[in-house]
Amino acid sequence: MEKEHNIVSTQQRRVDAWGKVTGKAKFAEDYNVAHQLYGKVLRSKYPHARILRIDTSKAAQLPGVEAVLTAKDIPGSKVFGIVVKNQAILAEEKVRYLGDGVVLVAAVSKEIAEKTITLINVDYEPLPVLPDPETAMQPDSPRIHDDSPEYEFRNTFVHHKVRKGDTEKGFAEADFVIERRFKTQFIEHSYLEPEAVLAEPSEQGGVKITGSIQNLFSSRRSVATFLNLDLNKVEIIQTTLGGSFGGKDEVMTAMCCRSALLALKTGKPVKMVNSREESMLESYKRHPYVMYYKWGVKKDGRITAMEQRCIADGGAYASMSPFVTWRSVVQATGPYHCENVKTDVYAVYTNNNYTGAMRGFGSPQVNFAIESMMDELAEKVGKNPLEIRLQNGFERGAVTATGQKLEHNVSLKEVLTKAAHSSSFAKKWNDYRHQPPSPKKNGIGIACSYRGVSLGAEGTDAAGTIVSVQTDGSMIVSSGITDMGQGAQSAMSHIVAEVLGISLDRIQFLNTNTSRVPDSGPTVASRGTIMGGSAAKRAAEIVRATLLDVGSKMTGITAEALDLRENYLVHTLGETPVPPGVESGDSTSRRCKRLASFTELAAETFRRGKPMYGFGWFKSPKTSWDEEKGQGEAYFTFVYGCNVAEVEVDTQTGKVDVVEFTSVHDVGKAISRGGVLGQIYGGVAMGLGYGLLEEFDFEDGVPKHLNFDEYLIPTSMDVPPVKAIIVENEDAAGPFGAKSIGEPANEIAAPAIVNAIFNATGQRVYELPANLERVLLGHKLTRKGERGSVRKSAAETWTDASCKIRHKATDE
Amino acid sequence: MKPFNYMRATNLHEAIGLLAHHTPNVCLLAGGTDLLIEWRRPSACTPENVIDISALTEMKGIESGNGRIVLKPLTTHAQILKSQAIIESAPLLSVAATVIGSPQIRNRGTVGGNIMNAAACADTVPPLIALNAEVVLQSESERRTLPLHELFLKPYETVARPDEILCEIRFEKLPVKARSSFIKLGRRNALSISRLSVAAVVARDEAGVITNARIVPGATFPRWRRVVEAEKLLVGEKASAELFRAAGDTVSELMIAETGHRWSTEYKEPVIAVLVQRALEQCCR
Ligand SMILES: Cc1cc2nc3c(=O)[nH]c(=O)nc-3n(C[C@H](O)[C@H](O)[C@H](O)COP(=O)(O)OP(=O)(O)OC[C@H]3O[C@@H](n4cnc5c(N)ncnc54)[C@H](O)[C@@H]3O)c2cc1C
Repeated sequence: MEKEHNIVSTQQRRVDAWGKVTGKAKFAEDYNVAHQLYGKVLRSKYPHARILRIDTSKAAQLPGVEAVLTAKDIPGSKVFGIVVKNQAILAEEKVRYLGDGVVLVAAVSKEIAEKTITLINVDYEPLPVLPDPETAMQPDSPRIHDDSPEYEFRNTFVHHKVRKGDTEKGFAEADFVIERRFKTQFIEHSYLEPEAVLAEPSEQGGVKITGSIQNLFSSRRSVATFLNLDLNKVEIIQTTLGGSFGGKDEVMTAMCCRSALLALKTGKPVKMVNSREESMLESYKRHPYVMYYKWGVKKDGRITAMEQRCIADGGAYASMSPFVTWRSVVQATGPYHCENVKTDVYAVYTNNNYTGAMRGFGSPQVNFAIESMMDELAEKVGKNPLEIRLQNGFERGAVTATGQKLEHNVSLKEVLTKAAHSSSFAKKWNDYRHQPPSPKKNGIGIACSYRGVSLGAEGTDAAGTIVSVQTDGSMIVSSGITDMGQGAQSAMSHIVAEVLGISLDRIQFLNTNTSRVPDSGPTVASRGTIMGGSAAKRAAEIVRATLLDVGSKMTGITAEALDLRENYLVHTLGETPVPPGVESGDSTSRRCKRLASFTELAAETFRRGKPMYGFGWFKSPKTSWDEEKGQGEAYFTFVYGCNVAEVEVDTQTGKVDVVEFTSVHDVGKAISRGGVLGQIYGGVAMGLGYGLLEEFDFEDGVPKHLNFDEYLIPTSMDVPPVKAIIVENEDAAGPFGAKSIGEPANEIAAPAIVNAIFNATGQRVYELPANLERVLLGHKLTRKGERGSVRKSAAETWTDASCKIRHKATDE
Repeated sequence: MKPFNYMRATNLHEAIGLLAHHTPNVCLLAGGTDLLIEWRRPSACTPENVIDISALTEMKGIESGNGRIVLKPLTTHAQILKSQAIIESAPLLSVAATVIGSPQIRNRGTVGGNIMNAAACADTVPPLIALNAEVVLQSESERRTLPLHELFLKPYETVARPDEILCEIRFEKLPVKARSSFIKLGRRNALSISRLSVAAVVARDEAGVITNARIVPGATFPRWRRVVEAEKLLVGEKASAELFRAAGDTVSELMIAETGHRWSTEYKEPVIAVLVQRALEQCCR
């Protein structure tokens, strides 16, 4: 069928593996320079309060302290934000959540910096705390941002709509209506490495920041306006990242701004590192949603109307909410046919941690609702969950809720069928419905999704990658797309190696540096491979053309008859049998004759004065969006995935064990096979946490836990073996046909598990996570105030350093 | 973490001397898996003086003989779960050791630390109380032995004085006919604090009549104890689902009587009853 590949789609090593497994990888905290100071932030004492007075006089006198700064010391813009610029880098008049920074200090040691913080006095006037978005929307609620425009409701800063057909007519045609309320929780990204940066004043003015940063260019823009510097005076260098999952954007921007300000004020390098507790206290989370779903359906299972109203808790600041909720509004009805759709998604300010990008980006929430609704629909009309999805699911040419006609290979039914077949879904689903009474019950559940690839109509979508051949035939590659552990550098390396016919060991990939590569937008939306990879392919092709041209001049053979394979310039001999005595240097059995090594070719190219540098730029195909009508070509292509979960439910304790899992994804083309599998396994594990365990809980704006002793993520003992099936329908838009996998892998595990619980018990869980209490009792239990014997709430413990009675974590 | 004076004892005698000298501003450090976590908290009361006893070889190991087991306090959970003597004569303790934390925690954490930390969710404590274990506390001035359940005052508080060191845990081997079980319910399958746990021992005669029963729930009562009220129901009876359910219900009722209604009671009330029932069933399978 297709062309053979040497690297792409085969099992290849990750380019970052060696450094990571030998401990040589340098993470942000590993960077130290002479004379560095340690920066620290004093954070708010209340989730919502007016700042009356800040007294830093005592703190400033402490020996070893080099700077004590407040919002007044900021030379440029005091706030930042990707859409709505209202996030305080240091709060000036008001604090809006417990993680708000108020005072910044730098000292010669960490200990002195910590001590300094305790000597600062801030007087507050506490304001009413708004912890619940639906309350915050009420007209009599106080406003969290006085100057922010409101959409329809109080504290509501986003309203996205989709309007298609006429839902009134649709409901009139329906035989019955299914109406449900769903709720999801705050989720911590749980990156292994907490936030850390090192900021150094630059020789020519400006600042150089090295750190654990996901979206270097967004952070750079904010640092520049914050310090009144030109972009070329702010250099941000990405260290090896210990995970991000969407989480190292704004929280890192704030840390970059703060450390840079301290560095410029003191003239010395400043290091800032968050403890896990500080990280959980300040960092943003995945949005909790409240979702009202109402579907009109026919007796035969067709859907005549879909009406959705979703409310996202945006927390204290707008952050990525406008974009996150936009993806939700586009995908809120899933890959299912319906003529009449009306969806409204709102984002609302509260005094909780602000919420932003996290793997899935607005899809895990709605997928939970959609896929639960689909199962309810199946139940209602007496079909099985697979049948109902096959009946209503999209195929090529389908028109989405936003009016977009899907012209690519719509593989929804392929992934559904493959997943169901490989897990014996239909048979097991039926058997488990009729299992004999027993305390432990088995269940199987299915969930599928379609997902728009890359940013879509959210904004400019383009990226650049640079391939630079050295005179010895080794290669330096760099890109505006960052690697956070997801494997972007590996995928781009594999593409470059494929195009240039070289082995991976010739490639050195550089970590992203904003001053050396072009602004390629954020590394989000599963766009690394499709955008950065496409740019890498173009860059490599530019270099390849030069090399073949030189090769042709060297050998007198036309460039068309030359190729680069396995580190050699070769003469392709077509399919004709090789005459005796001619080497066949290609393990893929394609006939060819080696003419020169890649090293010789590189040296010759240099000798001839030809450019050995390729810059590839890729701009995404066109998308469109009409905000008023809620219609448009939202994304240039989509991916399709299906998960099947099998569970064992202890009906007397509520404990759910996932015992088997099948995950099928159409990735277009698996550039790095191991990378795709890794994304699928990790995505399932993370989705399992979302479905069963994780919940970042607050009480009146105060987080109840700030470490992994109480915020529980799955361990290896909780994740079952995952059967991953990779489907490859090459897409015209991506490099070698590749699309994406990072977020798709994570977005449907939870509904598959919840549907499996229903199959086992006949009880549906409408609020995530399906923890012990929800599964056993049907609702959540909330610990109020102190826990165990004498424990204070976690955040208080960490903001108030006074020595209280000894207390411990017990799960009382 | 606040600074403290660190001393590393090389033998038990030295440790006891150091304790006496620094009491009451002193604390023993064994595996550190409870202490180091605690000391990280900004609000922790870090002691002035810390005596590291982890090098005391005479405080490590499991001795088996004369129908008794002597468990030295620095024995790690990993050592307990691998011990053939424990597997044979106190299998419920072996089970408890396997479900503690993770391999790293089991390699580091000690049974003495688990007891002396006195958390309501300590996993070795219910089995040890069900084994009628005694503990030996030693100080410069005295050596005293007391039943393990009398050691505890309330969560995180014991009757041990700051100058005392736990130097021995001992219990009689379970009779050959007795069967035992330990059930732990956590939110996840590893690295999980016990929401609830139950240790049980049941002995039956040839006719299948229960001659001895011990039930010790974990994370249930404010003070650790055997639930004799439920045990009494069992003795003289034959094993049955109804009987075990009644025992479970008794434990559940007593829990509410002693702790009152808390945020978690709605969940714990039915579940502790089920776990007791299951633990007893496991003993009679
Ligand atoms: C990630 C994690 C998971 C855990 N999971 C579990 C679990 O599943 N189940 C569970 O029960 N526990 C668990 N623990 C708690 C802990 O590991 C155990 O309680 C462990 O047995 C403590 O032993 P240690 O030697 O580390 O104690 P240390 O921390 O050294 O000491 C604990 C206390 O005992 C005192 N002490 C220690 N030895 C003596 C002695 N000989 N005489 C007098 N006092 C002494 C110390 O002064 C201190 O007060 C977990 C801990 C962590 C960090």
